Amino acid sequence: MTYYAQLLLNGIIAGSVYALFAVGLTMVYGVFRFINFAHGELIAFGAYFVLFFIGAPFSLPLYAAVAPALTLTIIVGLTQDRFVYKPLRHRSHITLLIASIGLSFLLRNIIRLIWGSDLQTYGVALTRGVTFFGLSLTWIQIVMMATAVVFLGFLYVLLTRTMLGKSLRAVSDNMLLADIMGISMKKVGRTVWVLASIFAGTGGILMAVDTNLEPLMGLTNLIKAFAAVLLGGAGNVWGALIGGLFIGVAENLGVAFFSPGYKDFISFSIIIIMLLFKPRGIFGIAGGVR
Amino acid sequence: MKKYILLLAAFCFVWCGAPVWAQSPEVVVGSVTPLTGKLSVYGEGFQQAMNLALDEVNAEGGINGKPMKIFFEDNNSTSKGSVSAIQKLITVNKFPLIFGPAASSNFLAVCPIAQQNRTILIGAESAAADITKCGSYVFRVFPSDLLQGIGVAELAESLGYKEVVLTYVNNDWGVGLADVFKEKFTAKGGTIIDEFPHDEGKTDYRSEILRIKKANPKAVVNLTYIKEGAMLLRQAYEANVTVQWLMGSASKSPKLVELAGGAAEGVIGTYPTFSQETPAYQAYKSAWEAKYPDKKMPIFGEYNYDMVKLTARALRLAKSMDPDDIRAALFEAGKGYVGVTGDKTFDENGDVGAVYGRWTVKDGAITDYK
Repeated sequence: MTYYAQLLLNGIIAGSVYALFAVGLTMVYGVFRFINFAHGELIAFGAYFVLFFIGAPFSLPLYAAVAPALTLTIIVGLTQDRFVYKPLRHRSHITLLIASIGLSFLLRNIIRLIWGSDLQTYGVALTRGVTFFGLSLTWIQIVMMATAVVFLGFLYVLLTRTMLGKSLRAVSDNMLLADIMGISMKKVGRTVWVLASIFAGTGGILMAVDTNLEPLMGLTNLIKAFAAVLLGGAGNVWGALIGGLFIGVAENLGVAFFSPGYKDFISFSIIIIMLLFKPRGIFGIAGGVR
Repeated sequence: MKKYILLLAAFCFVWCGAPVWAQSPEVVVGSVTPLTGKLSVYGEGFQQAMNLALDEVNAEGGINGKPMKIFFEDNNSTSKGSVSAIQKLITVNKFPLIFGPAASSNFLAVCPIAQQNRTILIGAESAAADITKCGSYVFRVFPSDLLQGIGVAELAESLGYKEVVLTYVNNDWGVGLADVFKEKFTAKGGTIIDEFPHDEGKTDYRSEILRIKKANPKAVVNLTYIKEGAMLLRQAYEANVTVQWLMGSASKSPKLVELAGGAAEGVIGTYPTFSQETPAYQAYKSAWEAKYPDKKMPIFGEYNYDMVKLTARALRLAKSMDPDDIRAALFEAGKGYVGVTGDKTFDENGDVGAVYGRWTVKDGAITDYK
């Protein structure tokens, strides 16, 4: 019994980080109507910027490196928009999609150029996990889950209680109408990129503390995020959250039934099944940041 | 009209007759080497070791008076790059003998091409068991993993582990190695309590660790690479799993210890080894230090060095530069030949034998297990 409970717990933890990635991806989709393939690189940049600040000459402690790293990640996110997506905004969605694929290659290679292809670590000290009711957890896993709860709670308040959040939802419902009603597209667009960058970057940092860093880390996690977005319905923030959790749990519980060597097979299967049968997500809602 | 015939005759004199009277003044062999891409950090060392051997061959009079040369073609560390490199070496340069690329997957990508074109292919770093089946024109001076699987089984047995959990990286190399291990271990009366592959390149192996925890073994045989190995060790430590880890040579690296930290302590593994006390090794070492005083001796450099020396020996014996003659000469040259890396006698598949050493991690460093 504890075996399955532990698998479930591992799934929830992995899923909460996938949810952080998926929420940003789905928000960008909700407002700008394209899947940003370079979202994965925001994940990787978040993690690598921390590596940058904990190394010489800054030598900051890990917790202090997070804020400057996220600031730089936001700059990367905003730069993506300003120099690539904004000039293409009125072109077809396919153009934006292809541009984002190109951009993701470019950014990944920038990471390779600066930090190399080799695996890196933050060198976090090794600790034994703590055990509750026979379930073991490491402190970083606890931090991962807590961060996801805080971030998603913050997002809930932002979207439902603030003017900015409401205008964000309005824009994703109908961009043209929102524009006519005098909602500043500029401000909404900027907010979406800032949120997406913070969520992706934070998830990337958490993952890197838990495991390690490599230039491809963004791409692998993008696939999980993409599956989560499809599952929850593209543009649906809460769908992405549930989708992320679902994928984390499905992957981990799947291990009890299939061989662990085929973990990724689960997220890919979900992508294919969703695209074939329920392209609008299990909630059947089309678009809109909800 | 006469003018044209004369011109044609002149052409024919230059081109048709060329191979007959323009006997090449040197003996050139090709080499597919990773000079760019992710393996280039190793490729440079391979090239230097080959050049070191080449210098010695030429100082000893080359191949029956003719200087020997190696024509290096870059493969960008990829299978695709290896295929185009070998195609060029075979069709454009027409070399009868080519040194194959590093990394088993790259080597396996080119071996059917060499076999089909009747070109001798020799590898110095490729371990995959499948290479044995490449064909009659394919040789290697590096021991096959087949031997390593047997080595790990013997290790488990000698340490007294009758029941183990087996996990391996889910690719040709891992699966092949695991099969050999299983066969050998169970034949001697060992039991495999649980067995599962793990994906290459992942970072979260917690569910895999749970499978191990559930089986509650004393020892786990983990046939994997550095990165995957380190993550497995680390996450097992975090999950309070205490087992004896038994590993292969692909995880024997200071990087494993760096990534896994204290979790790597006490791991025991096997690796193909050769004595560093032999006069051959000492000669190689001093030759290296004389030629490259500022460079550390590269990993697998010795195998590349042996490969070139052994090839030169075979080329001297060969009746002609025809691949079939070279092939026969290689078997002849290998017979009882003891290079820097030990005995290089080829079996009927073009494979060599090996002696296996044992490594362990003690106080954060890799040392020999005694």
